[in-house]
Amino acid sequence: MKGFGSVFIQEWVILKHNSTWWAILGLLLVLTVLAALNGAARTDQMAEMASGLNRGEMQTQTALQNTVARWEANPEGDPPSVASAGALGLSVLSHYTVLPPSPLASLSIGQTDVQPIYYKVTAHPALSFLNEAKIQNPLNVLAGSFDVAFVIVFLLPIFIVALTFDLMSKEKERGVLSLVLAHGVSKTAFIIAKGAARAFLIFFLLLIVGLAAVVLTEPDLASGALWARFGLWFLVVSLYAFFWFASALFVNALNKPSVTNGVILANLWLVFVVVVPALVNVIATTLFPAPSRVELTTEMREATEVADQESAESREAFFFDHPEMVGGNANADQFFLQVLATDSAVERAIEPLMQEFGAQAEKRQEVVDLLQYASPSIMAQNALNAISGTGTERFSDFSEQVLSFHENWRGFFTNRIIKGKRMSAAEFDEIPTFEYKTWGVASVLAATAGPILGLLFFVLLLSIWSSRKYARYPVV
Amino acid sequence: MILTVARKEFREILRDGRIKWSAVILAVMLIAALGTAGQRYADISAERASAQEVVNMQFAAQGEKNPHAAAHYGLYAFKPVTPLSFFDTGIASYTGVSIWLEAHKQNDAEGEPARDATAIARFGELTAAFTLQMLLPLLVILLAFPAFAGEREAGTLRQLLSMQVSPVQLLFGKALGAAAALSTFIGPILLLGFIGLLMTPGGLTYVGHGIVIVAVYIIYAWIFLFLTLAVSANVRSAQAALVVMVGFWAVSSFVLPRAASDVSRLLYPTPTAVLFQANIDEAMQSGLDGVSPDTKVQQRQEQILKLYKADSVEDLPINFQGMIFDLQEKLGNEVFDKYYGELYAIFSQQTGLHQMFSVGSPRMAVQLASMELSGTSLNQHLAFTGQAETYRRKLIADMNQDITNNSNAGQADYRADSTLWASIEPFAFQPASLGTLLTRLGPSFMVMFLWLALSIAAGVLAVRKVKVTLG
Repeated sequence: MKGFGSVFIQEWVILKHNSTWWAILGLLLVLTVLAALNGAARTDQMAEMASGLNRGEMQTQTALQNTVARWEANPEGDPPSVASAGALGLSVLSHYTVLPPSPLASLSIGQTDVQPIYYKVTAHPALSFLNEAKIQNPLNVLAGSFDVAFVIVFLLPIFIVALTFDLMSKEKERGVLSLVLAHGVSKTAFIIAKGAARAFLIFFLLLIVGLAAVVLTEPDLASGALWARFGLWFLVVSLYAFFWFASALFVNALNKPSVTNGVILANLWLVFVVVVPALVNVIATTLFPAPSRVELTTEMREATEVADQESAESREAFFFDHPEMVGGNANADQFFLQVLATDSAVERAIEPLMQEFGAQAEKRQEVVDLLQYASPSIMAQNALNAISGTGTERFSDFSEQVLSFHENWRGFFTNRIIKGKRMSAAEFDEIPTFEYKTWGVASVLAATAGPILGLLFFVLLLSIWSSRKYARYPVV
Repeated sequence: MILTVARKEFREILRDGRIKWSAVILAVMLIAALGTAGQRYADISAERASAQEVVNMQFAAQGEKNPHAAAHYGLYAFKPVTPLSFFDTGIASYTGVSIWLEAHKQNDAEGEPARDATAIARFGELTAAFTLQMLLPLLVILLAFPAFAGEREAGTLRQLLSMQVSPVQLLFGKALGAAAALSTFIGPILLLGFIGLLMTPGGLTYVGHGIVIVAVYIIYAWIFLFLTLAVSANVRSAQAALVVMVGFWAVSSFVLPRAASDVSRLLYPTPTAVLFQANIDEAMQSGLDGVSPDTKVQQRQEQILKLYKADSVEDLPINFQGMIFDLQEKLGNEVFDKYYGELYAIFSQQTGLHQMFSVGSPRMAVQLASMELSGTSLNQHLAFTGQAETYRRKLIADMNQDITNNSNAGQADYRADSTLWASIEPFAFQPASLGTLLTRLGPSFMVMFLWLALSIAAGVLAVRKVKVTLG
């Protein structure tokens, strides 16, 4: 690597006086900072919304508990109707299960705007609450978010390409190359020094902005897990940036005019960022199309009808709205048993469809997981989402936790409904609450290992390839 | 003279390999997109139509039932698709596809396809519209960036201008040549797409839409063509022209839409689903004007008793319960109108912001127009939910009317039969006419024409001042 040091320093001096270089660097800085601020604002909003969710539910629960306690202290007449496990579990109470933002959530919005970040769990079949609606303008969801991950995955390559597409070709076109090499600098050392001079500042900038975002937005800076995530974040960002530097170096090694280099690199960006993801998506959805929600809707309806020719579901809704028509308490118990029966009949009937849903989704995810290796951009996006806890894996982990909580919650009330037991005031304290089990650094590592190795592979491949090409690069 | 220049430019572009790869990519993606679009339309339209039929049949076959129970059972409205919905899927992946129409409640559309999709779908779905919006400008840029700067670098610009070609003639000649080259690649594919549309059942209705869509994308290509030519005439080197135009393309196509979406969220925040529901529940309980529904029912009862000169509801010739249901329904509808009205007003402010940002981004203007014409815009989704809601209200009113007229007070065991269910007209979505869409698209068209005019003007100005050498 003869001459690396002198070329590296020389480049710095040149770059210092290059206004395009500073403009690009400044733009990258401004965009990243804006994206970080925007991500932080979104994450704050979500955390704030999530924090208040169960307040109302808990108030209701305590008020009901007090009603029952008052009656227990002075038991005159019938017990209050809210002491019925059926009324509580099947009509009055529900529990919000909330997915809290993970550390570094503000760096990648990921699937947060599409996937539910909370479910309102009831004792009815899971399907009744899994479809929690979100209120948002679909046009905004379609456009996506301006977050740091977007700047990294989509824009950073453009900046890198703009800085490096003519790294070697320009020197050659200006006739500088032969002069420099005449001083005994090796070709490889020359190109690497030029690339490194640019890469150095870009990496430094990303590190600083990333650190600033962490320090300004994260509540617990002493957490080791946070810094482990940040380390991973910087590793992924560096590898991805490295990949684009290596691509530019490789294209320069092809010994084409600068303009052709630019065209090739623009096409490369297009292929990795736009074309391959779109094709991978279409391949996965064509091979394993999502089973139809529409069919699920009609099946469920059919099942409800079959489960109860008299249409228990509509009667249930009818009675909830018009409790005066239910009749006495004995009738109410009977009624809730009937609701349970209908619920479980519907559940049994749609079970095969639900399983098909799950199986197809799993297969589709497998295909996508495999095909992500076709594009460093997909790998980088997936890894960044995983690190920020906004990727597919964490959402499926969350919904699994919710489903298992739902079993608990439901069991609590169903047991009592079937035994015809009333709730004592003390038993209100035993009503299950949802504790979210953190999707920790080990899970992040597991989810990012593939993409990181994939990126590493691309980087190594390009580096080896280019170094071979530069060894045979014609100077004139 | 223009034609001579055009012919030369055309031949040169075809000979030059620089756009070969981009053209191949564009062609592959377009063909894949149009090919899958046909299949998806066939599958999904059949699925929704049959689901609608099943639901209608289920409603008709309810057997004997109290009409209010039938109102609770309700119906589903499925959002129909048009052949063009798969040319441009627009917001379709992020909106629900069916609405449960039941008593007392205005439900949201459910079953957004995006929930079932993998994260990779967020890079963009492969549709012909996505391909054209993303790749067409890039192809145009790659075609045209060396037009002047390259000639200047090669030293041929001096010769060209010393002949009897005026700079403006040169500009339009080069533009025509590039456009001809572009049409050679894309024309046949679009033609195939059109034939596909004509062969699709019901496709004939959308030929007009299709023609306007093609016009929109042609304008889009011309905008980028003249912009690139203007930049090419203005800057030092072909290389610089390429960097400037790719930069503009990236910022206007990728950054601005996202910026618009985030700024609109910040400026016009939507309530959370929980708060939205809580507001509705609260208004349902205590009444919009602070007079509770129970009080209003009481007042209505006194009115009706006075009108019929009766002492109690039992003496009335009608079932007052039906009137209570009807009154409750109307009060509920007022609440829904208020809160959904407010929500949609926020949506429309947000969409207005996208419209505003589109002044800086031809892609956004084209995208808004393209999805409107393809029937996959927010407007059309809200038209669907709106029509479904109107249908729901009529359905529930009919059920309550039946109770009022055909049963007696306190007759809880009243049952209506299939004649009532059969009297309900099935739900059928009426899409807006092409004329309505075109008027709605006024702002987008204006932005597009403004861009076109500006880019041509920029081109003309740039070539008038063009220097044969720089530096």
